[in-house]
Amino acid sequence: MFCVNLLTGIVPKPSVNHFDSISFKSQLNPFPLFDPSPSSRSHPSPSSPLPSIQSKLRKLRERIETVKNTQKVTEAMKLVAAAKVRRAQEAVINGRPFAETLVEVLFDINEQCQLDDVEIPLTAVRPVKRVALVVITGDRGLCGGFNNAILKKADSRIAELKKLGLDCTLISVGKKGNAYYHRRPNVNVDSFIEGESFPTSKEAQVIADDVFSLFLCEEVDKVELLYTKFVSLIKSNPVIHTLLPLSSKGEACDVNGKSVDASEDEFFRLTTKEGKLSVERDRMTMRKNANFLPNYQFEQDPAHILDALLPLYLNSQILRALQESYASELAARMNAMSNATDNALELKKSLSIAYNRERQAKITGEILEIVAGAEALSQSGGSSPTRNQRFIWGRPKAIRGYCGIRPFVLIIASSGWMGVQIPLETSGFVGRLEGAV
Amino acid sequence: MTLNLCVLTPNRIVWDSEVKEIILSTNSGQIGVLPNHAPIATAVDIGILRIRLKDQWLTMALMGGFARIGNNEITVLVNDAERGSDIDPQEAQETLEIAEANLRKAEGKRQIIEANLALRRARTRVEAVNAIS
Repeated sequence: MFCVNLLTGIVPKPSVNHFDSISFKSQLNPFPLFDPSPSSRSHPSPSSPLPSIQSKLRKLRERIETVKNTQKVTEAMKLVAAAKVRRAQEAVINGRPFAETLVEVLFDINEQCQLDDVEIPLTAVRPVKRVALVVITGDRGLCGGFNNAILKKADSRIAELKKLGLDCTLISVGKKGNAYYHRRPNVNVDSFIEGESFPTSKEAQVIADDVFSLFLCEEVDKVELLYTKFVSLIKSNPVIHTLLPLSSKGEACDVNGKSVDASEDEFFRLTTKEGKLSVERDRMTMRKNANFLPNYQFEQDPAHILDALLPLYLNSQILRALQESYASELAARMNAMSNATDNALELKKSLSIAYNRERQAKITGEILEIVAGAEALSQSGGSSPTRNQRFIWGRPKAIRGYCGIRPFVLIIASSGWMGVQIPLETSGFVGRLEGAV
Repeated sequence: MTLNLCVLTPNRIVWDSEVKEIILSTNSGQIGVLPNHAPIATAVDIGILRIRLKDQWLTMALMGGFARIGNNEITVLVNDAERGSDIDPQEAQETLEIAEANLRKAEGKRQIIEANLALRRARTRVEAVNAIS
């Protein structure tokens, strides 16, 4: 506070214009946190280096904090996704006995009775006029290109079908797909389905019911399933499978009619090899039942039995697509978060370097100024002037003092300009004045 | 001579152990299966499966599927199966009421088919809980 009084007490005389070695034209705003004093108001001070360095430092520090927090979040997300991938794989494995037995049974029944002349609604092949597409997307974002890939595939398929002159309706599964198609009124969407995070047979049932009723009421003639096939932890493909009409052998067919059934399937186990996550593949081979099965007698009509079996197959196909999609989404999220973590680390490193550089520059500046001030002090006669010495215009003076524990130098140049060099972060302290004007 | 029962759903294996006797609901009525039953293949309706272990009866709600009874090996493939003991009676009752309301509201062939299926499932679940108590 005392400095302000000094400032108001001295009227600068612009007559003498020579400066000493201390060209202290910095015109620091003495107490940046204070209101500008009347004398300095007439001389607008330009933005001084010290406050700007201070704010730049603070900004850098804040940025480093932000990046650190972001990195923590992305790393946590990556670990969570990695744990969930294993669970998703286990779910696929748990579903295997069902799928295996089903295919076996279907095979047996087909062998036992010649069913070519039996009419089963779900295998009815009609001339195709309308096609239903079931598009499976994820619920949450931050998974890289996963959702985009499947939506692009869906769009291209819709375009293809339109070119062939076929009408097309959509069943969208997953929040991301729903949001996408909500914004596109030109695509005919039949229903939006959202499930809980983990695909269960209940959700598959919902979709199966939908598809079932659409097909049976002859609203559509063909149903195709679009999902992402899990190839490996870093690769997944969006694929299209024909769901209905089922071939009487119960095989799932590709769009071109090729069978892509589960007979030659691989499934993946997430294990650790030498401390790093790795994926091992186990090939699943269809066990051909060596012991002959007894000749089953059909309790009901074979048609009825097949009628009961094929919806089961539909259900298991849909569930498998859901599970694979989910596993691919988790793998994509794992990769995306891993990349994000690496980027965050790099950014933090470069920001830290910049921060340190700024900090060191600031400290050097302070040292230089203090040394310059001390020089001025030593030049102006060594000992500090006594209390009653009158201020003599024309001679630069330096007055040392203490502000708290830090030294500061009050430098009065010959023209009467006064500057105060105080270290940062101490301002407004009332300190002891060693010299006096 | 005991029967080995295997109840499989797409999610998981619900039951895989030996039983004394089962009663299965099929499209053409209920059938009881004792050891050394003749091999048959049948469609399973949305209904209740009763399992007898020693002298205790357990119920399971099945949501439709297929059953194959071979040489003392029973394989039941269903869309969904819930043990009676795992079903919450309150929740099952509420689901039943919601399903009934949906059926009344349903319009169009499709919705009626779906609503009917949902209703039968809800009813089975309620029965499974009640059969125990």
